[in-house]
Amino acid sequence: MHRRPHKSLSRAEIQSLFRIYQDSHDPDIKSMLVNAHLDLAHSLARRFINRGEPLDDLVQVASMGLLKAIDRFDPGRNVQFTTYAVPTIVGELKRYFRDRASTIRLPRGLRERSHALNSAIQRFSQEHGRSPGVPDIAREMGLSEEEVIEGLEGAESVSVASLNTSSSEAGDLSLLDIIGGEDKTLKILDERLSLAGAMSALSSREQNLLYLRFIEGRSQTEIAQRLGISQMHVSRLLRRTLQTLRQSLKTREI
Amino acid sequence: MTEEQSTDVVRLKLPHEENMAKIVRLTTAAVASKTGLNLDQADDLQTGLDELFRLFLADENPPLGRLCIRFNLGPEKLEVATEGISHDLFKDNEINHYSRFILERIADRMEQIPNPRGGYEVILVKSLAE
Repeated sequence: MHRRPHKSLSRAEIQSLFRIYQDSHDPDIKSMLVNAHLDLAHSLARRFINRGEPLDDLVQVASMGLLKAIDRFDPGRNVQFTTYAVPTIVGELKRYFRDRASTIRLPRGLRERSHALNSAIQRFSQEHGRSPGVPDIAREMGLSEEEVIEGLEGAESVSVASLNTSSSEAGDLSLLDIIGGEDKTLKILDERLSLAGAMSALSSREQNLLYLRFIEGRSQTEIAQRLGISQMHVSRLLRRTLQTLRQSLKTREI
Repeated sequence: MTEEQSTDVVRLKLPHEENMAKIVRLTTAAVASKTGLNLDQADDLQTGLDELFRLFLADENPPLGRLCIRFNLGPEKLEVATEGISHDLFKDNEINHYSRFILERIADRMEQIPNPRGGYEVILVKSLAE
């Protein structure tokens, strides 16, 4: 995932930020604390990389664990933040796998193919600076085009439910907010879509995604590059966001 | 419609059943691949047809009883025409705003014309030029 470059903070500076945050709940301070520890979330996510889930998803889950840890950490106790954060983040990752196991259990082959497809698409996009076609991926992976199409469709099923829960669990700060959202997003979407009420059903991350794709007209590959996630991930998030919006509209109509 | 100028035509006639959505997605992906669309463009088209298929499913009495999708694979553009939706996308309400907004953005051109057989025909065009 994309991480903002940040000045590395000393232990004392971090403790001091935590003390300020505990009193003020200032989102800017929280953002600084998140940035200072994103490497930790990333590194813990990587520990789970061989379990068939895309790294992007794992990093998102780990980042949610990080946000929880920041909210719950008590700087008054004589414990370093990382000592407290590691089990919280790992717990979040384990919970993620447990929840997934209880909802969808896909054949291992399908999950592996989905993972391999994801990697191949990312590799191709990075090397060629454009979104690949099915024949490109088929060549790259030594598969038939039919196998790639089936695999892409299967990858939709591998899509995770966890990402949708992130922003509400994390309070006001979603991952996209950390990466850099648009303040004017909701207003513009409201104006362009005339869906003021229904838009409120979406998290700020989902609103940002719609903004990037449908107002700024960025392609999925461009959004993926900008956010440091895969094109397949963007596709899944967009599909789910549109589903949520449609459902919200239906409810309002009733 | 300019079917005469097309090199290939792929047609689907879909019953009013939710589980047909996967057929639409797979066929769209295969057609998109055949015409040389990249994954971004193929996904856009799937999003558009998914939207139209949902409108069809939302119809309690679809005018033709089924959704007919025709993919015209021309040398310069992929034209997808759907028949069997009674929904007028230009009628002023939130769901129409939403559907039209999505369809206009995923396609290079979108139009809706009254269908003499009932309901409307919605045409999505994707340009195949780089």
